[in-house]
Amino acid sequence: MKRSSITFWVGAAVFLIAALAMTQIVHNQYPFFAGYIILQFIALAVAWSILGGYAGYVNFGTSAFYGVGVYGSVFLVKAFGAPLPLQILAGAAIGALMGLALGLLTLRMQGIFFSIATIALTIVIETTITNWRYVGGAAGIQIQRPEVTAPFDSYVQMLFFVQALLVVLAVAISRYIQHSWIGRGLQALRDDELAAECTGVPTLRLKLLACVISGALMCAVGAPAAMYLQYADPGSAFNLNYSVTTLAMSLIGGTAHWAGPIIGAILLGTTQQVLTVTISSEVNLLVLGLMLVLFVVGAPEGIVGLIYKLRGNRKEGEI
Amino acid sequence: MSKKVSKPGSISRRRLLASAGAAIAASPLGANLLQAQAAPIRIGMSMPQTGGLAGGGKASLLGIEIWRDDVNAKGGLLGGRKIELVVYDDKSSASETPAIYSKLIDVDKVDLLFAPYATVPTAPIMPMVKQRGLLLIGNFSFQVNSKVGHDMWFNNAPWGPADSWATSYLDIGQKAGGKTMALLSADQEFAQNLAKTAREVANKRNLPIVFDQAYPPNTVEFSSIIRALKATKPDIVYVASYPPDSTGILRAVNEIGIGDSVKVFGGGMVGLQFGAVMESMGSLLNGVVNYNTWLPEKSMYFEGTKEFFDKYTKRAVEAKIDPLGYYLAPFGYASGQLIERAIAAVGSLDQKALAKYLRENTHHTIVGPIAFSADGERKETAVLQAQFRGVVDKNIEQFRSAGKQVILFPDNLKSGELVAPFEAARK
Repeated sequence: MKRSSITFWVGAAVFLIAALAMTQIVHNQYPFFAGYIILQFIALAVAWSILGGYAGYVNFGTSAFYGVGVYGSVFLVKAFGAPLPLQILAGAAIGALMGLALGLLTLRMQGIFFSIATIALTIVIETTITNWRYVGGAAGIQIQRPEVTAPFDSYVQMLFFVQALLVVLAVAISRYIQHSWIGRGLQALRDDELAAECTGVPTLRLKLLACVISGALMCAVGAPAAMYLQYADPGSAFNLNYSVTTLAMSLIGGTAHWAGPIIGAILLGTTQQVLTVTISSEVNLLVLGLMLVLFVVGAPEGIVGLIYKLRGNRKEGEI
Repeated sequence: MSKKVSKPGSISRRRLLASAGAAIAASPLGANLLQAQAAPIRIGMSMPQTGGLAGGGKASLLGIEIWRDDVNAKGGLLGGRKIELVVYDDKSSASETPAIYSKLIDVDKVDLLFAPYATVPTAPIMPMVKQRGLLLIGNFSFQVNSKVGHDMWFNNAPWGPADSWATSYLDIGQKAGGKTMALLSADQEFAQNLAKTAREVANKRNLPIVFDQAYPPNTVEFSSIIRALKATKPDIVYVASYPPDSTGILRAVNEIGIGDSVKVFGGGMVGLQFGAVMESMGSLLNGVVNYNTWLPEKSMYFEGTKEFFDKYTKRAVEAKIDPLGYYLAPFGYASGQLIERAIAAVGSLDQKALAKYLRENTHHTIVGPIAFSADGERKETAVLQAQFRGVVDKNIEQFRSAGKQVILFPDNLKSGELVAPFEAARK
């Protein structure tokens, strides 16, 4: 195992142990509620950047995948009373299939056309759910949490830890992809798809793979949200905010390296949570808007890009 | 130079005073005494101040703030404790409120909780407050407690029993000779809840539903829908719509007409309660029978109502929100009054005792007497059904005078009779 890999896995283990210890030591519930949201955005941003960052296919359909994850859980809970792990696994499976379908239908389009198609996907799925009365339809649905399992005291603490696991999983996958032939292939097709195709890179297959992995992760991240909110309505589950915020996080963090979306999500997610309980008015939207503008102007390649620049090391893949 | 020496085992007067003071301060009684003089009563809530529900949220919050200022001007509650509001913006989203309410409860440690305006942001916090046994004053959400069954929930909205809305509207329609119903509803939470109960009531009464269509949110062009509706020649048209669609539907009706068969038109159109929408629709509103919560008719003035609107009108201009503010603001004030009455009667902030008092008594507020049933909703509905009459174009001030929206229901607040059919009432 390479040294960087050892560092990564030790870091991941420390992170998980810290998250678990936090659930056992901290009794105040607020850090878990706020932390859950931040972790959720880290996982979403990392998942997004697999297709959006490595392959350069800007996906506005994050909210579609996330919402399907939420409603997949709602359906499973209502129909079978499924436990949380099953909800997440089912979410991942549905997300993978959805990613495949989206890929097959839209990946022949490029640039802005692909992005528009992903927005259309969100609208189509949201409309379908809105008209599906079994899962509450437009009126929304309230769901009850089951009893929490040991060693956790409250369900939110458990969800917090589960989301931490999903973050580690998403980051590990993203990191693997970046360092493997898949990542190199995706990078090649991002730079010039035609040239990549001519040199033997199986572009469509790679894009499909990225779509499937990214979709599966996003859906899996959405799955526990049904239990977090204990309520689902199409307007909130398919809120375009998820797409926009995820995209902003990845762009602010930088899409060239697996760590970029994590940095972006922590920065933006934490700022959002802090602003919600401090300024808490229209001003917080203004602050977020300004942050975006500043980063687009000052650091078009995100924070990771900025670090490369400051170090004078433009070689991607190393920090 | 003499040196003051205290004998071992003896205790100086100053020290005695200090110790006694510290002991009292540390004791529960002392803590209460100190608190009574200094600490304000903190009421925590989230309120939509950005996003789709912001217009309503801001008006509602202003109502609550006027109540706070009134109480504080009178010297506060519980012997001088001032009211302090801790308010966060939930961006009109369900996903924000669990974290916000956890902050209010666990970090800010507020004394009491108010719910945010509307159903969607409220629904996710219901299980949380139930689990922790906390009192929650609801703010215009619709049937959020029906599945949760929290016995410390009290909704300030005048909704009453779930089916009363449809019942009152269909009563008016059937009295006017209506024998069939058409139902047009937006595919959104509130409208679908209304449509569902309307279907149930119609089925119970064997009233045939000749047209039942839900349209997607953000529909702007309604002429084809109104044409299809008109073709079924219904007697009663029940519309459950949201602000942008409400105006679209009325414009389409104005262009195409709705046919002579229609006795009453309206029922659940959200938006026709807001000053800006009313002003822009002007004479197109005439004849529409629609729900409302408060109107400037004689029967609607209770103790303090007029004073409230005097203050609201002034402050709404500064805050740049709905200049009329009939729909939500007085109910925000009434939420405060509910808590004020309960605290005065109980004499403490004990949430269980406050809930017991709220459940067992009738409370007099600026929106009339409020009594709660077991599920925390009003015992009887106080949702008004009123008909727009003699409205002219581009004049918001006209809505401040009585007679522009004649109350047809409930009977004890009635201020006029229905003019039917709809086409005749439009003229």
